[in-house]
Amino acid sequence: MTAPVIAYNTFVVAVGVAAVGFAAGVVGSLCVLRKRALVGDAAAHATLVGVACGFLVTGRRDLATLLAAALVSAVAGLGAMVLLRRFTRTRDDAAIAIVIGVSFGLGITLVSGIPAWGYADSAGLEQFLLGHTAALTAADATLLASVACVAAIVVAIGLKEATLVAFDAAFAAASGWPVAVIDYLLVALVAVMVVAGLPAVGAVLVTALVVIPPVAARFWTDRVGTMLLLAGVIGLVAALVGVAVSAMRPGLATGPLVVLAAAAIFGVSFLIAPERGWIARRIRARTLADAWSRGLALDACLRAAGAGDGTFTPVDVEAAVAGDRQGGRRAGAEAFAALVRTAAVAPVAGGRDAWRLTAAGRALAEERRRRLDAWARVIEHDPDDAREALTIDLPAPGAVLGRTGAGS
Amino acid sequence: MNAAASGPSPASSSARPPLVDFHDVTVAYGRRPVVWNVDFEIDEPCLFGIIGPNGAGKSTLLKAALGLVPTVGGSVRFGGRPLREVRSRVGYVPQRETVDWDFPVNVMDVVLMGTYARLGWFRRPGARERELARASLDRVGLADLADRQIGRLSGGQQQRVFLARALAQEADIYFLDEPMAGVDMRSQEGIFRVLADLRAAGRLVIVVHHDLRTAAEWFDRVALIDMRLVATGPTAAVLTPENLRRTYAGHIEVLEELGRAVAARGRTS
Repeated sequence: MTAPVIAYNTFVVAVGVAAVGFAAGVVGSLCVLRKRALVGDAAAHATLVGVACGFLVTGRRDLATLLAAALVSAVAGLGAMVLLRRFTRTRDDAAIAIVIGVSFGLGITLVSGIPAWGYADSAGLEQFLLGHTAALTAADATLLASVACVAAIVVAIGLKEATLVAFDAAFAAASGWPVAVIDYLLVALVAVMVVAGLPAVGAVLVTALVVIPPVAARFWTDRVGTMLLLAGVIGLVAALVGVAVSAMRPGLATGPLVVLAAAAIFGVSFLIAPERGWIARRIRARTLADAWSRGLALDACLRAAGAGDGTFTPVDVEAAVAGDRQGGRRAGAEAFAALVRTAAVAPVAGGRDAWRLTAAGRALAEERRRRLDAWARVIEHDPDDAREALTIDLPAPGAVLGRTGAGS
Repeated sequence: MNAAASGPSPASSSARPPLVDFHDVTVAYGRRPVVWNVDFEIDEPCLFGIIGPNGAGKSTLLKAALGLVPTVGGSVRFGGRPLREVRSRVGYVPQRETVDWDFPVNVMDVVLMGTYARLGWFRRPGARERELARASLDRVGLADLADRQIGRLSGGQQQRVFLARALAQEADIYFLDEPMAGVDMRSQEGIFRVLADLRAAGRLVIVVHHDLRTAAEWFDRVALIDMRLVATGPTAAVLTPENLRRTYAGHIEVLEELGRAVAARGRTS
């Protein structure tokens, strides 16, 4: 009798937690773009007080009651943060640190004290610390999913306003938008998502679900809308992985697994994202440096071609590149090899180690000098639009030869 | 009601309140005053420069006019009315460094933000707004870059994107905060041309600016500010050596001494 019921329950819980992961990523994106990433952490740590007080006051431990109480204390924590900032002139980061520390200390004291004070039936409150989805019922999951959907819909409706304030609050205020109200709504949404994430990820780690997916998503896109969706999907996947693994290994708390999954996605994004990723940036830098070395090598060939018998040895060229770049002989050797590959230089017949520029190589070298001259002129005289056209990449030898041939 | 009858009406023109009236504006950060009893009026649409040394409170004065910083005393009125009644008629170009240019939006997105106030809550920009934004980009010469991420623009281009956003506001009075900072000379000229076009279309353009040379060339009227108002009026009448000395007191004295020293050495040799 039990097997299918448990499977159904696990399925519903997974859907609910996935929805929470999605909405947390979406809401968190706005929070990160508004440079308020730590606000969620303050709210999260403040929830524990609410969970404990909710239990003490009502004597109930159903999820809806405890989460409602958690939301109240999260908002209270954020209110305390605002008051600290306004009336004691404490800086943002210090105010957040104070709220995190004090509310967490109070929350832990209450949660760990409750059993000692003789309350029966109080086991399970500490599960809000690190998250434990195994204890969730289908009804709980439905509640969480509903909250997540509402939060995501609110973001979809107010995306224009939130983006405006996040990008340029002064302009928004000057054109009449109530920036403070929009900010408070955003913070309230973050508090709601933090509370919705509590059962799955726990008070200590839930902020990671709000912050990591947006930062990971930013690597892949330059558009706000896409970033929100992507952050949602990343949050969803991370949440699912956490639920699945902790369902298979009941001893493991869900929260850390969710965070680790999100962190793994972040790590992969950081490495392999096409534009902003680390590898792509390294390759771009390397490609540019190589092109520059090739240009230097080509120029050395052109100079040598104009002197003596017009031939040169690879060692001359490598020395010229190495002397300019302090890149050692390797950069010079690679540059020369590239010139050989593209038939910009060719060996002189007769067996000596002597090389000459080909027609294509000469055209390319002269093109490079023309570009550098034009570049110097533009930098000196022209507005920045003209700089748009500048590039230090060299075209392929064939392309230049065709162009100069057509021009003359 | 009066706004509809904005055309010339000779009978009431003498009694018409000034376009912008800075009335005894005082702003302080903590107890330290930054703007001190600044009091002047702008009656006609023109290119108006607010000029002064670094830290003179020029930007603060502008932010006070836009309600972005609280005033200790005084008021700014627009055609006799408070800011909140005319907000949709006021355009704003903030300083470029005040935003994060790595923000995930493109040029078109930023310019469209100029139409948001008119759209109101929750309504998204449509075909009309896109057309307006495109036309605004065209006026600042950036029509080709509409789809570019804003982080991949040069400083001058970023400044012109902000200008295009203000154009999309379709305002009557424009406030620009140091729009020429970090912009090369040719782009500056382009920006000044757009501002001159706005004036020709009957708009009032108020620019916080620090370069005296271009100020003399472009502005119809200026106000010299060094915490307090030093002088205001037609540019040629205001930018006198005496007024400049009073505005730039510390800095110019140094220069004068240097000049005297050089002159003295020239005589002895």
